Amino acid sequence: MSDNKPTLSPQEIVDRAEAHPAAVPFLWLGSHKTQRNFIYIPLAGMIIFSVLGFVFPPKYPTLWEYGLSYAAIGFFSYSFVVLAAHPLFKMLSRPENYYGEDGEELELEGDVDNGEGSDA
Amino acid sequence: MLDFLTSFSPAFILIAAGVLAAFIPASNISSPVRKALLIGAPALALVLINTTFFSQNQSTYLGGTMSFAGIELTTLRIDNLSIIWGYIFCFAGILNGIFGLHEKCKITDTSALIYTGAGIGAVFAGDLITLFIFWELLALSSVFIVWRGGPKSYPAGMRYLAMHILSGVLLLAGLVIYGRATGSYAFNNIGLDAPGGWLMLLAFGIKAGFPLLHNWIQDAYPRSSVTGTVILSVFTTKLAIYALARGVAGTEMLIYIGGIMAVFPVFFAVLENDLRKVLAYSLNNQLGFMVAGVGVGSTLALNGVAAHVVIDILFKGLLFMSMGAVLHRVGTTKASELGGLFRSMPYTAVFCMIGAAAISAVPFFGGFVSKSMIIAAVFEDGQFIVFAMLLFASAGVLEHSGIKVPYFAFFAHDSGKRVREAPWNMLVAMGIAAFFCIYLAIPGPFGGMQYLYNMLPSEVAGEAKFIPYSADHVVFQMQLIMAAVFAFALLKRVGLYPPERRAQILDFDWTYRRLGLALVKWISAIWSRLGAFVTYMLKKFFGMIGRRIYQVFSPAGTFSQDAPSGIAAVLISGMLAAVLLVVYFF
Repeated sequence: MSDNKPTLSPQEIVDRAEAHPAAVPFLWLGSHKTQRNFIYIPLAGMIIFSVLGFVFPPKYPTLWEYGLSYAAIGFFSYSFVVLAAHPLFKMLSRPENYYGEDGEELELEGDVDNGEGSDA
Repeated sequence: MLDFLTSFSPAFILIAAGVLAAFIPASNISSPVRKALLIGAPALALVLINTTFFSQNQSTYLGGTMSFAGIELTTLRIDNLSIIWGYIFCFAGILNGIFGLHEKCKITDTSALIYTGAGIGAVFAGDLITLFIFWELLALSSVFIVWRGGPKSYPAGMRYLAMHILSGVLLLAGLVIYGRATGSYAFNNIGLDAPGGWLMLLAFGIKAGFPLLHNWIQDAYPRSSVTGTVILSVFTTKLAIYALARGVAGTEMLIYIGGIMAVFPVFFAVLENDLRKVLAYSLNNQLGFMVAGVGVGSTLALNGVAAHVVIDILFKGLLFMSMGAVLHRVGTTKASELGGLFRSMPYTAVFCMIGAAAISAVPFFGGFVSKSMIIAAVFEDGQFIVFAMLLFASAGVLEHSGIKVPYFAFFAHDSGKRVREAPWNMLVAMGIAAFFCIYLAIPGPFGGMQYLYNMLPSEVAGEAKFIPYSADHVVFQMQLIMAAVFAFALLKRVGLYPPERRAQILDFDWTYRRLGLALVKWISAIWSRLGAFVTYMLKKFFGMIGRRIYQVFSPAGTFSQDAPSGIAAVLISGMLAAVLLVVYFF
């Protein structure tokens, strides 16, 4: 009796079968765990470059350019833009067919080719 | 032969190729001929521009002169400023041709060739009349590309056409006033103080997507076909930047307009669900950097603008191509419908991420060199508020183009859509654009940054020397990027990142698509009702008069009734007295 155990789950086998051959080695990028732990990469990068900011001070120091300031500008600017989206969406969003042009959907049936036909 | 070909603007070659393409039958046999024209004509134009300019020793080449209504027109003016636009327009024409090889549409091919030709013709225009002719041709040829998006793109195409015709009319009015006042139609630095200067600025501003005049970009571009949006993203807006740089460089007002242009699209892009519309807002945002640079007008700033035009055409084209590939395969670019496509389209995902890195100004990617030049020029000009706005906008760029587009299309939750990778011609076009996004930002003997620098318009390269790869610049740019990416990851993790939802987001176009339309309908309704009321009143009035006359003169009327002769005598006497009085006094 063979003791070879399957190393891949049924779902992983399906995923591999469906994926483009070049994407197979990178399927881990789509896992929930990877996406959840991704945060540590920019966190580490931010800390490292913030420390380096003291080693290489800016050529043109201004009020907002001391030490961690560029990191602060990046963090707060980004957060402001994203958080502003919540009230802005409530204020500016309307149903897709608001202008009566049928939901902004394009009629590109002639253009869409999901790969079943031939390429160029 | 070469002498003949260099005796007129290369734009005419592209336009002639476009006309020829229109007569080539739409069949599988003749389609390759049209495609050969689509790639070959811009390639020939590129060679001719280079040959013409470098075959003489002057800094400006003037050619293709012709007389029109007693005015001398110069259809070919190649100098340090126009040549870089000419190069990148031709190169973009070639890339667009490769990207659209799979498409067997005669209208797109014809329009694309004429549109490219018009863009090149306008850039090399030596006078305002030539500029106006190509300016209008640009609008007319491109609207067919918008309409290739299908029946639902017709209203957007009409609005697009209306805006560009308005731009043309303003340019014509401005150039006529300017020409009559100065006696010259030469297209050089005009300035706002010149007669007609404001009108021309407004004309340029419409095409450049100035705030409140910008909606045609987000309205029309995302509605075009897969290939159409890629073609449209190149020429019109970049031509406007050229016109601003040529005509009104150093106008301080443009610095603030540019700052606003860079900031406000960021807020709209984060709300949008359609990723091609997100990129259209992103286009507006990048134009803001360029407009601010034109406003500063220093050597460094104008070099930065020229460099950013080149890089922007490459990375924005790349991003639009990647979304075009997604649309081609999946049938939608709605973020809410996508996700996990890296499994099916890994090469497209990589190219998209390269475009995203370039627009986000990651070191060793295009935007890091070009955008930094503009930001540095704004800083050196002492415009600290606009400098802060551009920094803020840089973080915003990371949100919409750097993260949102690649993340929601290729990663995020798995939409379960399994499609084939993009066609080979799309991959080739994306690959070339991606290569140059990196190559032109690499310093040293193996990099292409020096080639980019050599193309820049500055005649005093020493003064405009800009070294992007200083340790402090790299470190602080990476701080900004890493902090923004960390903010994204954190907001996603704590659930504060807004979900992608299907909706129509209101922008300034609401004023004419809804308010203006409602106003026109109201006026029309009031006019109809008023017309009906006036008709009723007139009928009533004339009816009353008729009745009164009938009452008096009809057989049954007063005058026909029997009356004593004494009364008739009194009436006649009274009338005679009245006549005598009138005659006596008058």
